[in-house]
Amino acid sequence: MKTIEVPALARVEGEGGLYIGLKDGQVVEIRLDIYEPPRFFEGFLVGRYLQEVPDITARICGICPVAYQMSSVAALEKALDVEVSPQVYALRRLMYCGEYIESHALHIYLLQAPDLLGQPSALDLAAIAPEVVKNALRMKKIGNEVLKAIGGRSVHPVNACVGGFYRWPENTALQALIPELEWGLEAAKETVRWSLTLPYPELEIDYEFVALHHPEEYAVMHGEVLSSKGHKTAVADFEMRYFEEHVQRSNALHSHTSYGSTYLVGPLSRLNLNHEQLLPEAQKALEENKIKLPIKNPYRSLIARAVELVHFYAEAIQIIKAYQPEGPAHLALNLKAGEGAGASEAPRGLLYHRYKIDENGRVTFAKITPPTAQNLPRIEADLFALAPQIVEMPQEQATLTAEHLVRSYDPCISCATHFLKLKIENRE
Amino acid sequence: MKIRVIGTGQSLRGDDAAGLEAVKLWQVRHPESAARVQVELSELPGLGLLDLLEGVEAAIIVDAVQDTTSAGNVLCLGMDELAGFIPGSGSAHGWGVAETLQLGKAVAPALEKCRITLIGIVGKDFRMGTGLSPEVRKALTRVVEMLESEIQSLL
Repeated sequence: MKTIEVPALARVEGEGGLYIGLKDGQVVEIRLDIYEPPRFFEGFLVGRYLQEVPDITARICGICPVAYQMSSVAALEKALDVEVSPQVYALRRLMYCGEYIESHALHIYLLQAPDLLGQPSALDLAAIAPEVVKNALRMKKIGNEVLKAIGGRSVHPVNACVGGFYRWPENTALQALIPELEWGLEAAKETVRWSLTLPYPELEIDYEFVALHHPEEYAVMHGEVLSSKGHKTAVADFEMRYFEEHVQRSNALHSHTSYGSTYLVGPLSRLNLNHEQLLPEAQKALEENKIKLPIKNPYRSLIARAVELVHFYAEAIQIIKAYQPEGPAHLALNLKAGEGAGASEAPRGLLYHRYKIDENGRVTFAKITPPTAQNLPRIEADLFALAPQIVEMPQEQATLTAEHLVRSYDPCISCATHFLKLKIENRE
Repeated sequence: MKIRVIGTGQSLRGDDAAGLEAVKLWQVRHPESAARVQVELSELPGLGLLDLLEGVEAAIIVDAVQDTTSAGNVLCLGMDELAGFIPGSGSAHGWGVAETLQLGKAVAPALEKCRITLIGIVGKDFRMGTGLSPEVRKALTRVVEMLESEIQSLL
């Protein structure tokens, strides 16, 4: 029996292991084992007052806290039949712009680019291309500054609440961000051009793409759940079509559709399904760079992130220029017992929440379906598709190619896990 | 001289909170010095540490460290000595102090002009939960005096 083990995989979020079993030269088993301890967020939300929920769920992730806040407020506002003002909605989208900017800049340049440029880490990349990394950090910082201006701090912002925001952010603080956002927009356009020069591994997958879709905007917080198979599902019916199940080897649940297939959430799904709703700057980036859609290569999700960067820098500028807060920043809530579901598009993909609350506004039930749990079965299926290439490769190259595939998903395995080991076992 | 004191570490991971606790104690015991410098308490700054180092001539970072020496041991390290502590994890959540400084050195030449000192407190128990181990708690007084002495040498 031949066993190959490699050191910890860096640049993913979470603790997991990858197992590849071979028999007679064929891959017979691939498992992405998630042994990150369960975190019980859904359990300890029970009994909490609803206004605590956005700040607690934000703590699930340091990279995408806004996604957790926004999905939770959407669900709780649904439970209370609350409709926020257009100004609140725009400000929430601006927060989301900040989150996309910081998350995508980080993933493109510091997490995935080293793979494509043959560097073991971002530190090594910085040694040979300091300007690239320097620009990446500047791009990322702008996103964090947007979050800080609205939410008081750049990680785990605290201003969002059910019904709106605790206070309107200072207009001067937001306007001051425009010069850097304009620099970032140009840097993002350059990122799209640069992304097309990178040497992506060959892999084409016939995915079922799933993302929020809205006919009038690039869907982030509103809309229906659209599938490339043509299904449209109201957020309230999400659990009728998309199921989660426990898998013995994994502390993360695995998702599949009601007809038993895997599906993909994240930047490729959003871009492929919603490119018509991109802002003109991002549409132009697609056209000028002759980017053909749909993109079906998971490694090329970096290109989708780059195009989204253009969109979200442009949208951030647009929202800030129009920002004129009036009236109360949040609505007075009329508490009642109820139930609501909410979904938003985290940078990594669709994030679904559902809550039940009692007449005092206390949570009696919570369900959270993160994007990485939805993508885990898809990552395993991609690795199966990649396996014929892997088994022919030298060990080091096989390892890097598999690791790179996992990394290209930008998985937040725990929104907390920290490494992945690859083990290839030959059963001959 | 523009000086920034940065206490870092996770308040819910036992001894990892030592840096935060030490800086808070120093603020109480040496309010006059604390008023003359900028103080930041940041649980997990990650790459944001580079932003905290912007525009200052000297920075003192106080953090818990893992080391083979006894718990409660206090180390005072300069930028060059920190280079030996690069773990190479580089997860999106896990940019540590040493690797972030190393990255900063490569991409932010201005950092070369900033005198960076790390006061590291060797921890014992980094499991989930609040509260420092007795060894680390006992070491806080020594850390506070070391921090004050370092600041006095800069002012």
